[in-house]
Amino acid sequence: MESVMQLANSTVLWIFALLVAGVVIFQAITFIRLAAKTSPSVGLSHAEVRAVVRTGAISSLGPSLAIVFVVLSLMTLIGDPLTLMRIGIIGSAAIETVGASLGSEAAGADLGSSQFNEQAFTNAVWVMCLGGMGWLLFTALFTKSLGKAQQKSAAKSKNVNALKGISTAALIGAFSYLGGSEMVKGVSESIVLIAAFIIMPVILWTANRPGMKWLREWSLGLVVVIGVFVGYFIS
Amino acid sequence: METESVEKTVNSKGTAGSQELTDNSLLSFEKFHEKSHFWGRLTIWTAILLTLMVPMYLSFVLDLHPGWTAIISGFAAYASIIAFVWVIEPISYYPVLGVSGTYLAFLTGNIGNMCLPCASVAQNVVGAQPGTKKGEITATLAMATASLVNIFIIMFVIFGGSYLLNYLPESLTDAFRFVLPAIFGGAIAQFAIQRPLWGAVGIAFGLFVNLGPVPRALQTFLCILGTVIVCMALDRIKKQNK
Repeated sequence: MESVMQLANSTVLWIFALLVAGVVIFQAITFIRLAAKTSPSVGLSHAEVRAVVRTGAISSLGPSLAIVFVVLSLMTLIGDPLTLMRIGIIGSAAIETVGASLGSEAAGADLGSSQFNEQAFTNAVWVMCLGGMGWLLFTALFTKSLGKAQQKSAAKSKNVNALKGISTAALIGAFSYLGGSEMVKGVSESIVLIAAFIIMPVILWTANRPGMKWLREWSLGLVVVIGVFVGYFIS
Repeated sequence: METESVEKTVNSKGTAGSQELTDNSLLSFEKFHEKSHFWGRLTIWTAILLTLMVPMYLSFVLDLHPGWTAIISGFAAYASIIAFVWVIEPISYYPVLGVSGTYLAFLTGNIGNMCLPCASVAQNVVGAQPGTKKGEITATLAMATASLVNIFIIMFVIFGGSYLLNYLPESLTDAFRFVLPAIFGGAIAQFAIQRPLWGAVGIAFGLFVNLGPVPRALQTFLCILGTVIVCMALDRIKKQNK
């Protein structure tokens, strides 16, 4: 186990992990630059671009901090660089843990057990990396076709309205599914979700008052803080 | 028309002189998609290559190869659970993410819990509708920022911030599991204010797929598809009544 962790935290793996993190950072910066350059042609002002970036930063703090705790549990199992690499790109901590344990079990050792040797570690890495590639391959190969299909239907002006409706309904469906999967976890989770459901309109209503527009940018961040507090006191 | 003329003037300046001016020129939405495909694919293929090199390095450089049988049996077990999701997720989320958003969200991950909520709150801030050009640019800016914040926080924790977290009381760290229900409750409410009926349809589907006898891998897809179909049908009925 000890020698496995030495391997898992070795310099070469660190280099790979930092390169992967570098790709994520590079991509994000590239897209911010491209989108900022495009913003005038879709009717976004410079001030609005800044507001959007601020909103993204504020709203992502809560989710990112929630991820941190899963990061910690994964670090003890597969080492620091691999955790950075796997959590930094597609794949939730839950899925990566499944991948790591299926991989090491296929090599005849339970993840984190005394039999967990270098070969089992290598097998876990294979399964995690091949498994996570599914999404990446699909996205790299087929996003262009999806874009073309969308462009074709958007060419008719009648369809543009339909696309707006479909996107909104799809978003509602996605959030409802995710919300439902939280509610079935327990009573406390359900109470927090309902509390957030009530607080959000109050915040948005307040943000509509004169001089309170900035509150809109903080809406999700505030909902998360209040939700965590509610959860803290009822559990 | 207006944006075109702006583009032309900037372009003519660009060709007249330095690289920097062309670099700062404005982009049309079509050009933005073109460039998104290029940079999106380039970054994702790079990530694919890098993630493949790690197990290859362990197997063949360090000579720790566990054997193809072990790799394939582990991968087959994984794929039997997840493979369907590889295809279903990018398709289900595409109407919401758009071209650039798909490249971003599927590289950085955390689509449902981070990218989508950030994008829709940002769209709400500037009054952009999902599925429009303005909506896609807004979502891209918000998600790219979120992706940056996320990777920096992960790096901070891995580079030693974990010691700090050990000092937090357990009751507080335990409360972090309430981040997700709070985000989803808030996000659903944001849409339910605008379209209460659609919100109700979504919640009904959300509870049904989670509580009903629906296989795990199909849940996201069925919930999104069901909500879209019922909402569109409701819209049509409303129009006919008018």
